[in-house]
Amino acid sequence: MNGLLDTLINLEIFAFIGALLWLYFKDFDGPDDSTD
Amino acid sequence: MTKSSSSHDERTGSAQRSGFGSPLVIIALLITGVVAIWGLVDAQALAEGAARLVHIQFVSRAWFIMAAVSFILILCAWLAFSRYGDIRLGRDDDEPEFSTISWLSMLFAAGMGVGLLFWGTAEPLTHFDLISNYRDPRESAADALFVTNFHWGLHAWAIYALTGLVIAYFGFRRGCPSMIGAPILDTFGAGRAFGTISWLCDLLAIVAIAIGVGGSIAMGVFQVKDGIDALLGLQNSGMALTAAVFVALCLSYFPALVVDLSAGMARLSNAAMAVAGGLMVFVLIAGPTHYLMGGIVQAIGDYFGDVLVHGFRTFTFMDERIGNWFQSWTLTYMVWWIAWAPFVGVFIARISKGRTIREFVAGVILGPTLFSILWFGVFGGAGFFEALQDDSSIMDVVRSNVSGVTFFVLESFPLSKLTISLVIVAAFLFIVTSVVSAAFVLGMFSSAGSLDPSRKIKLVWGIILGALGMVMILSGNIGAVKSIIALGSLPFVFVVLLLMVCLLKALKKEARTGA
Repeated sequence: MNGLLDTLINLEIFAFIGALLWLYFKDFDGPDDSTD
Repeated sequence: MTKSSSSHDERTGSAQRSGFGSPLVIIALLITGVVAIWGLVDAQALAEGAARLVHIQFVSRAWFIMAAVSFILILCAWLAFSRYGDIRLGRDDDEPEFSTISWLSMLFAAGMGVGLLFWGTAEPLTHFDLISNYRDPRESAADALFVTNFHWGLHAWAIYALTGLVIAYFGFRRGCPSMIGAPILDTFGAGRAFGTISWLCDLLAIVAIAIGVGGSIAMGVFQVKDGIDALLGLQNSGMALTAAVFVALCLSYFPALVVDLSAGMARLSNAAMAVAGGLMVFVLIAGPTHYLMGGIVQAIGDYFGDVLVHGFRTFTFMDERIGNWFQSWTLTYMVWWIAWAPFVGVFIARISKGRTIREFVAGVILGPTLFSILWFGVFGGAGFFEALQDDSSIMDVVRSNVSGVTFFVLESFPLSKLTISLVIVAAFLFIVTSVVSAAFVLGMFSSAGSLDPSRKIKLVWGIILGALGMVMILSGNIGAVKSIIALGSLPFVFVVLLLMVCLLKALKKEARTGA
């Protein structure tokens, strides 16, 4: 198993988990729902 | 749920181009087409390439996959018991469309498919073969049954439940189209970045479904062919019979793609389910009933006593043989369920309108899990009954021809010609209904979530699914099929987790603002 590839894959997983947490906690001001 | 249609289209992507003109369909067809052509040109190279890549991915990602599926199960349980459990999948005054009994039986049929017929006896005995190298054979039987139940139980159905819940919640409560990427646009807005991510999720869903169903076709064809071998007493009927079964399968499902047979398909699927259920009862009664029931009761205790802990087991400190077993079974199963999640998720979402999140999660996760424990208790137990006799040759069959194991067991029961014929019929019906439903869902995803995809697009997906099935048949063995499916579905792990974040944000927002 290529050690560098293994590290890169795991870094990618950590980045993904970080991104998920950021997306969960960030308040996205979505488009206005009351457009009717 | 009061949105203007134009702003909603913008948010959910339903205004995107659909059908053959859309880049989504072109790229999805290209990817699956390249896999199919590569396999047709050199099936062995595809199988070996997939196995090598999957091994690299599994070594590095095992901890993440197991942590993710365990987290999904815990999250589903929390959702059911939390205040969100009362939220209805639909308007607050919507009632469930189907009675609870018929809803549960449709869930069984969706999850059961050809896999349970194929692996009913073969999987527990395959694990038994390995574990008995490390433990006393009689203890190994219980362990093998536990592992099999783990593969088909709560974790598998939690993956389906979460995906189905996201599709149902965003579809019925927030009015999004039934596209995998639609919840992302609804939650984060349709900016360029999230638009691209949503598009990518739709693409990954299509590829995962197409390759997953292609694998299922191969598995079903292997099983039907072995059944015919057992029925007619043929030895080494080889590729000619396999090809004949495959052609018969294509001839059966193509007409259903052109003519609207949705009601007929539901009846066929129920018929297959009834045949499978009948077989289970037959084996339970005609076999050593007290032995099988004893095994089932023990399996229930073993399973629920250890399932959560086992979900976190990665076998990191074990030898290479166990490590390889873990990759080719547990990890492969988990990504296999993930590959099927968009397909089964869409189906269970469609039949669950009007149910609360609590009912949905409890029904989807617990019902089929209990059924699987019964199923493997009966078919696995019947296998162990054979295997633990001194003069049985069943383990030779397990080692040499895994798809023939069910038939080997049935041959030791009365009316074996009839039961083998019924397994063949049920397997055939399960594949036909799976392919027709998969072509429908792929057509839907290719038409911006339209509930009435054109015949042309369904037919094209039918051809691609058939070609992928043929490729997997040509790859020659079930191990290769599993590697190819795992490779196609691995990226979808990320999609399921992203959808989970969408759902949690939307639920939190609804609780806060009521919208």
